[in-house]
Order: sequence, then C-alpha cells, then structure tokens
Amino acid sequence: MKRSCEHHQDCMQLIQKILDGEASVAEKEEFFANKDLCMPCQKGYELESSLKENLKSKCQLSCPEQIISKIRTKLFLLLILISILIPLFC
Amino acid sequence: MLMEVEVKDKIYSLGNARGVFEKEFMPHMDAMYNFALKLTADEDDAQDLVQDTCLKAYRFINSFEPGTYAKAWLFRILKNNFINDYRKKSRGPSKVEFEWVEQSISGEDEAAEPAYYADLQAETVNDMLGDEITAALQSLPVDFRMIIILCDLEEFSYEEMAKILDIPIGTVRSRLHRARALLKTKLVNYAKTKGYN
Repeated sequence: MKRSCEHHQDCMQLIQKILDGEASVAEKEEFFANKDLCMPCQKGYELESSLKENLKSKCQLSCPEQIISKIRTKLFLLLILISILIPLFC
Repeated sequence: MLMEVEVKDKIYSLGNARGVFEKEFMPHMDAMYNFALKLTADEDDAQDLVQDTCLKAYRFINSFEPGTYAKAWLFRILKNNFINDYRKKSRGPSKVEFEWVEQSISGEDEAAEPAYYADLQAETVNDMLGDEITAALQSLPVDFRMIIILCDLEEFSYEEMAKILDIPIGTVRSRLHRARALLKTKLVNYAKTKGYN
C-alpha cells in the first residue's frame, strides 16, 4: 500500500465530491478501485465521511414549539387583518 | 367575495395560501431554526430571523411554485434576510473572513492550502461531542459556516447551494473545500487542547 499520495489535493476534492453525491459513476469507480492501495486516500476518505456523518448527527437542533406557535399566531393575525382591510378597499 | 393574497404569478385564496404554508413550509421549521441559530449564534436573533423568514415567505407565497423544492426557496429567503438585516446589525465581515472568502472565490491558493489537519483521525472526530463540533463550526467565518451547514447538515446539492447563495457552482466547490479544510484545522487544534488522541 502506498504511504504517500502525489495527487492528495485532487484526491481530497474527489472524496468530497463522492460523499456529497456529486461524482459521476466513472469517478467513483476509479476512486474505489484505488482507495485500498493508497493509505492517505483511505484515511482521507474515513476522515471526510466521519466528519460529514458527525456534523449531520451531532449538530442538529429542533425548533422550539413556542416559535412555531408564535409564527402561526402572527399568520392568523395577518389573515384577519387582510380579511378586514380588503373589503374596505374593494 | 373571495379574498386573496397579493398576486404576482398566480392567485391563492387566503385559505389556500395558509394551506400551502402549512403543507410546504412548516415541515422545514427545524432546519430553518437550526440554520438561523448557527448563522446568528443567538437564540433570540434566530427566533426573529425564522419568524421574519416565514412572514416574508407568506407574503411572497405567489412566487412559490407548489411541487418545487420549498426548503431551498425558504433557505434562500432566510439567507437574504440574514445578510440584509441581521448581519448588518451585528458587524461587517472581518478582514480574515474577506481574505478566506476571496481566495475561495478566485480559486487561488488551492495548492497552498494548510495541511495542519493531517493528523486528525476519523476516530477523534467520532469521539468528539456535538457541542465540541458545533463550537468548531461556529468559529468559522460565516460564509464558510453557511456552506457547510447547507451541504453537510441539510444535504443540498451543489446546484441548489449555488442558487441559495447566488454564486457559481465552481465557487460552491472551492468554498466548500476551503471551509472543510479550515474546519479540520479548528478541530485538530481543539482536539489537542482537549487531549484527544
């Protein structure tokens, strides 16, 4: 297995493209055919995928129920206001 | 008389407009709040930003095409709202922010990208707590933070991100690459101070 990669920058960009679902079938095939032969690419792939997974799973929050209620109330008031105002101008 | 919301491309009755809002927009409240909180880094500002975005979306509901991607439409409104109102209120971008973003936009300096994160391991990231990763994300310049949230948390495509951010796809790619490089640098520094292996 190779311990250094002469195309590491390009490989890292390709890894991100693959994980983002933006790579073509040919690009994916080429990468996965070589991944296990190159340690930096293998490590890079593991790091990028764990970073993406951890961001997705550990950095999400739910919207507090009070905000949703506030927005619904404001919309309701807006609807009432429009209902009152429109007949005055029609 | 049928009362209508102001029209641009099509007309919704008030009831229909509210129905579209509930069906198409409300399912994205968590994602919008999450995005707003990470942009403003303040709970009250995030609440206001989400509310303003919803009211603006409602106001311009006639320019929304049902069946199209409501989430991307809402995120674009939220991002514009943030840039036009909240970002101005807080502060302009720092010099560092400009430099990073300018480099990413021009696509220059790709070869000179710092590789301080070379010793960051997947296991280290797996061991980190959500608060620690969030803190590293929050410490990024806002344009970098924004693109990572859109891509990694919300899973927008490059094309959708280009539309939301009003930038070319090439800039999406390069900005994302640089944002991730900086995030890894922050994480490796953080891991060292906290004694992660």
